[in-house]
Amino acid sequence: MAKERSHKAQIVIDRLGKKLNRQIVGSLVACVHCGNCTDACHYVLANPGDPTYAPAYKADKIRSIFKRHYDWTGRIFPWWVHAKSLYTDEDLEELKDIVFGKCTNCRRCTINCPMGVDLATFNRMARGLLVSVGVMPEGVAVVSKDQWEIGNQMGVLKEDYVDTLEWLTEEMQMEYPESPGIPIDTVNADVVYSINPREVKYDPRTISDAAMIFNAAGENWTMPSEDWDMTNFGLFSGDDDLGGSVARRLYEKVVELKGKKLVISECGHGYRSTRCEGPNWAQHDVSFPMESSVITMINYIKEGKIKVDKSKNTEKMTFHDSCNNARSCGLFEEPRELLNMVCENFQEMYPNRSENYCCTGGGGAMSMSEYTPQRLVSAKVKADQLKATGAKYVVTSCHNCVDGLTDLIKHYKLDMKVTQLVNLVANALVIDKPVEGPAEEVPTPAEVTPVAAEAGSLQGYKILVADDEPDFVTFVSTVLEDNGAEVVMAYDGNQALEMARKEKPDLMTLDITMPGKSGIEVFEILRNDDELARIPVCIMTGKPELRKLIYDRAVRPPEGYVDKPIDEESIILNIRRILELAKSKGK
Amino acid sequence: MFDLEFARGTLHDVALAVMMIVYFIRLYWLTRFKAGKERQAPTGIGDTNSRKGYIYSWGNVGMPWAMESTRTKLFLYFQFVIFHLGVTAAILLMFSISFYFKDSPLPPQLALTFKIIIGAAFVVGVLRIIRRIGSKYVRAISSPDDHFSLWLLTAWFLFGYLAANNNIAAGEWKSFTFFIMGSFFLIYVPFSKISHYLYYPFTRYYLGKSLGRRGVFPIKRFQ
Repeated sequence: MAKERSHKAQIVIDRLGKKLNRQIVGSLVACVHCGNCTDACHYVLANPGDPTYAPAYKADKIRSIFKRHYDWTGRIFPWWVHAKSLYTDEDLEELKDIVFGKCTNCRRCTINCPMGVDLATFNRMARGLLVSVGVMPEGVAVVSKDQWEIGNQMGVLKEDYVDTLEWLTEEMQMEYPESPGIPIDTVNADVVYSINPREVKYDPRTISDAAMIFNAAGENWTMPSEDWDMTNFGLFSGDDDLGGSVARRLYEKVVELKGKKLVISECGHGYRSTRCEGPNWAQHDVSFPMESSVITMINYIKEGKIKVDKSKNTEKMTFHDSCNNARSCGLFEEPRELLNMVCENFQEMYPNRSENYCCTGGGGAMSMSEYTPQRLVSAKVKADQLKATGAKYVVTSCHNCVDGLTDLIKHYKLDMKVTQLVNLVANALVIDKPVEGPAEEVPTPAEVTPVAAEAGSLQGYKILVADDEPDFVTFVSTVLEDNGAEVVMAYDGNQALEMARKEKPDLMTLDITMPGKSGIEVFEILRNDDELARIPVCIMTGKPELRKLIYDRAVRPPEGYVDKPIDEESIILNIRRILELAKSKGK
Repeated sequence: MFDLEFARGTLHDVALAVMMIVYFIRLYWLTRFKAGKERQAPTGIGDTNSRKGYIYSWGNVGMPWAMESTRTKLFLYFQFVIFHLGVTAAILLMFSISFYFKDSPLPPQLALTFKIIIGAAFVVGVLRIIRRIGSKYVRAISSPDDHFSLWLLTAWFLFGYLAANNNIAAGEWKSFTFFIMGSFFLIYVPFSKISHYLYYPFTRYYLGKSLGRRGVFPIKRFQ
C-alpha cells in the first residue's frame, strides 16, 4: 500500500520541480561523496566526530528527495542511491533543522568542492520550499513578515525611522552647527544611501558617521524616508518572491527620487542581495549604478574629497571577510585598501578573503534563537581564528557579522571589540572646514562610543528594569547607573507593574518572558492605563520570535525593541534615543 | 558462444553503444532544465570576468593549490589523479585489445605501462575502499552505489593489471573477466555516480561563470 503523504510534503515535492534549473540540477547530480568538503565547514570543525554536520551529508538530505522524484536511478532503485521521499510534517521539521540550523549558507564548502557542487544555492532553495508551506524557524517567520508588511526586516516604523534620522541630525548639529545633517528624500541626489535597519535600532552611530563622511566630502546625497532597507531576508529564507519584492522597492525608490547612484552601507547580505541577487529575483534590470559604501569611501579619499589621518586609529586591527561579500561578490580587496588608509596597525587573519570562515551568524542564524547553542559551539572556529591575530579590534563590513562576532567574542571571552570601516573612517576624518568643527574633537576608537559614552548622559532619569534574569538586571542597571540614571528593578511581571505605578519611571525596559504576568501582558496593561501609558517602553528580549506578540497588540507599539545579547553601547544608545525623542515630543 | 571472442567483440560493442545512447539521453535531460540567468552588473576589482572564471573553474582539477580541500590533502589529491589515470588506462587497454591486439600479446613496453598505471590505480582503489569504510564522515554519506562503484572499479583494475599483456596462452580467464567487467562497467556507468564526469563540465562552468563575474574566481589568497 502506498504510504500516505501530508499535504505540505506533497506541495514541497511539487514545487521542487518548479525550482530546478540547470545549475541546481547539476549540483544535485554531480556529488561523488568524496568527502573533500567535510573540513571546509565550521560546523564540522567545531563538532569533531559528528558526520551529520558534513556538507555532503546535509546536502544529501535535499538530494535524496530530488533523486527519489526526478532522477532515474533514484526512482527505480531508491535504496541503491539513498533516494528518499518526504511523507510527514515531521520529515519537513527534520529537514528544517538541517537547512536552517546546521548551515549558514556561507558557501565555503562550495569553493572547496572539486565537482563545483553549490550546496549553499540548493540549501537556500530547500529553505524556500519549506517557507512556502510555513515550515521555518519562528524568527524567520517574524522577520519575513516584517519585511513584507512594514518594508524592513526589523519592523522599524516610518515614524521611528524618520525620528531617528532627525535626532541624529540634531546631535550632529549640536556639535557642528552648520552641518547639513541627514537629507531625507532629496530629489536628484547624486547618491541615495540605503542602510540596514539594524543601524536605526542598535547602531545609529554608523548612520551619523556615514553622514559625517558624505557631508565632509561635499556629497549631494540623501536617504529615502521609505523603502530604504537594503537588507533582504529573501536571501536567508529562500523566498524569491520576498527577495524580488524587497529589491524592487528599493530600486523603484531610487528611480522615484531620480537618484544617480545607490550606495549600500556596510552589510554583507545587503550588498549581495541588492547589488547581485536582487536584479535576478526581481527580474528587473537596474538602470543606475550601485556600489558598496566601502568603495565610495575609498574614492572620496583617492579623489581628495576627504582627508584622513590614520594615526587616529592606532590599535591593532584585523579584518573579517563577510561570506556574502567575499565568496559571493568578490568584495575583499577594497575593504583592506580602505583599512590600510585609515589604520596604522593592520593584522591579516588566516584564512582570509574567500577562504575565510563564517562569523557563524550568517544565513539568518542570528534570528533563529532555537539554534543559538549549536551556533555558539560552531563559533569556536572563528573564535580561535580571531584570537590568533592578537588584535584588539576586528573590523568587518557586515552588520550581520558585527552581531555574530560580538556574540561569540562575549561567549568565548575574547578581549576584542567589533567595529566597521565607516566608524574608522569617520574617526580618522580630518575636518578642516570651519563648519565641521575641529578634528581633535573626534574620539579615538579606544574611547569610542559612541554617541553615548559621556558619563552622566542619563542624569535625572529614573528607569525601571524588568527582567527575570538577575544577571541581566544587574548588568543593565550597572550600565544605566554608570551613566547617571536612577534605576529601579523588578524581577517578574506583577512586580514590574507595581513598581511602574509606585515609581513612575521615565522609561521602562521590559523582558517578554517573565514569571507571573508575562512582559506581553504587562505591556498591554501599561498601554491601556491612562496614567502609565505615557511611560516609554523598550522591549529587551532573547526571543525575537515573540516579537509579533508585542506588535500584534491593538495598542501603540513600544518605543524601542532590542534583541539580547545586547552590549553596553547599544543599551545606552537606545535608552538615550527613546528618552530624547519622548522629551522632544513633550511626553 | 559466451567466450572471450564474444566478450571483447559483440558484448563490448553493445555495451559501448548502450553507454553512448544513455549518455546522450542524460545530457538531453540535463539541458532541458533552463539555465538561470544572471542580470547583475559585474563585481570585484575588475581583474576577472565570467570567461576567466569558468576557465579557471574547469582547470581546477589540475590545480591542487587552488582549493584548501586539495591543498591540505595532497595525498588524497594524488590518489585522485592516479585513480582517474587508471580508469583512462583501463579503457584504453580494452580498446587496444579489441581493435588492435585481438590475436597477439601487447608489446612489452606498452603492457608494462598499462600494468604500472592500472596497478597503482588498484592500490589507490584499495585505499579508497578503506577510507570509505573507515572514515565515519565518508561512510555516513556513502550509498550502496558509492560502495559498489568503487569495488567494481578496483576489481576491474585488478583484472586489467592481470590482463595487460593480453597473453591468452597464459590464461584466458583474466582477459575474459576483464572484458566482462568492462562491459558491465560501460552499461552501469550512466546509472551510477561514476557518470559524474559527464556533469563536471556543467557544474564547474556555471559556478565559474558566476563567480568569475562576481570577482571571486580565480581565488586570491594572501599567504
